[in-house]
Amino acid sequence: MPRKSLLASIYYAISGIAAMGFGILEMVITFTSGVDGVIWGPLEISGLWLWWRAIILFSAGVIYLSAIKNCLDIHQLAKSVVASIMILIVSGMEVVARVAGSVPGEEGGPWFNPPAVFLATYAPPYMPEIFLLPLSLLVFAFIYRRKKTTGDG
Amino acid sequence: MGLTAEQKWELVDVISRETVKFGDYEPTLRDELADITVKPLTGIPFAIAVLYGFWAFFNEFAGTFLTDGFLTKIFDSNYLPWIQGIFPRPDSWVYFIFVGNPQAETCLEAFGVLTSGLYVAFGVVLPAIMAFYLVFAFLEDVGYLPRLAVLIDTILHKIGLHGYAIVPIILGLGCNVPGVMATRPLETRKQRFMMITLLAVFIPCGAQIGVMRRLIPDQIGWVFLALVIGYFITGFILNRIWHGESPEILMDVPPYRLPTVTNIVRKLIMRTSHFLMVAVPFVMLGCVIVAVMYLTGAMDYLATALAPVLSKLFGIPGDVVVALVAGFLRKDLAVGMLGGIQLSSWQLLTSIILLSVYFPCLATFAMMIKEENWKEFLATVLTLIIIFFIYGIALNFIGTAMGLA
Repeated sequence: MPRKSLLASIYYAISGIAAMGFGILEMVITFTSGVDGVIWGPLEISGLWLWWRAIILFSAGVIYLSAIKNCLDIHQLAKSVVASIMILIVSGMEVVARVAGSVPGEEGGPWFNPPAVFLATYAPPYMPEIFLLPLSLLVFAFIYRRKKTTGDG
Repeated sequence: MGLTAEQKWELVDVISRETVKFGDYEPTLRDELADITVKPLTGIPFAIAVLYGFWAFFNEFAGTFLTDGFLTKIFDSNYLPWIQGIFPRPDSWVYFIFVGNPQAETCLEAFGVLTSGLYVAFGVVLPAIMAFYLVFAFLEDVGYLPRLAVLIDTILHKIGLHGYAIVPIILGLGCNVPGVMATRPLETRKQRFMMITLLAVFIPCGAQIGVMRRLIPDQIGWVFLALVIGYFITGFILNRIWHGESPEILMDVPPYRLPTVTNIVRKLIMRTSHFLMVAVPFVMLGCVIVAVMYLTGAMDYLATALAPVLSKLFGIPGDVVVALVAGFLRKDLAVGMLGGIQLSSWQLLTSIILLSVYFPCLATFAMMIKEENWKEFLATVLTLIIIFFIYGIALNFIGTAMGLA
């Protein structure tokens, strides 16, 4: 198995910089805007536990970046899996929050939201972790392919 | 005769020399993942993410989806008007005990056995406990909990405990009763006493967290911060003053495994039903006792008698005594009762923190008597009382100094 790959290194670098950047941004917004946060186009940075998510994204970014050298080495690959799981947890919980908010109707209203309101809950803006979700999933696709060829995964 | 920790380590060396063959081994991805999640540099950020997932799922699934989304609506919009309608004579004592306040618009404000009692038990606590035990069983079966124990070992050693103490802590966050039972694997009486005391004082149960989440969603972080600080300071002091040993621990860290749905569901059902059997009777009993104390005037008497202490020392009104009485039976019910009392946001935060460090519920109390000897039990109760007063006075001082009280 080769230990280096330019493509994989670029992927780790992009994921790392993006996760770290969003982490720093969330931290800055925690201190400047509090829980209300900000909305910039399709991007929303807000919420009660923003500082917690900021720490996770920043750390995931650092772990990705530390895995660039010899990126296909098993140890480095494990690092990228850990970073991807961290992003998966934060983004997964954001998806759970959207689903939890989209199904029940408003207080005093019907039990369930009508289809239009239900669908509108999934419209932008999205939290940064949602944008990182596809990037983090690539690692799992790679591991799936690797498992098929080497049996390890 | 038991072996000392040092002798155990020596024995491990001897056995491994005899039995383990050394050679080249190509680690698999799973081996590396197992290794990387116990190393502090990568393991701690990963643990922070896992705990976030735990908390966020608890909040969103139990709080937003089940309690706020459906159960509160069922209880407040359908069940409460129905039960208020079918019970005759709203001025009778039977009505007061079972339905509570006839003017109440929400089950939380009503204080009756069949209103607040059922709502707290099934509308708030049951979803919270289910969500908690679901994630707990998943982490347990994946094999992550022992890794968390290894990670936190260094920190907990500073207060005379070791990493395994994380298991009673996390279990206690679901329900303090199994949390106290989970202290049994700790090696010395000193460690068990310390863990039971810290658990009883500083670890709020899932039921209480569920009600707190409903009452003060924006301030719950401050409650946890106050409890974590108290946990470590008290642990540090107890470690210094309580006689006994705090040895190292040998802990088996299993490999990561894919959990099976059947196992998780079985554990969830077993733990939730155990919790319901322990909790629901006490919630109901709590409502009856509070209602009877109101009817007989005992509550007014207590409120008047304790008002000077509560208001002068802690800066909270005498009415909070109702929650303190209920807190002997169930803390979740007690915290829920604060929702029906007129309090400023600082007073509400103070009352919730005080209820958290106040006596544990009756079921935990019974378990403490079973697990501790009398000397340890009295020391735990004394610690509880001292910490309750320290927190009350300190919070009043902070609130007054910051102009919040």
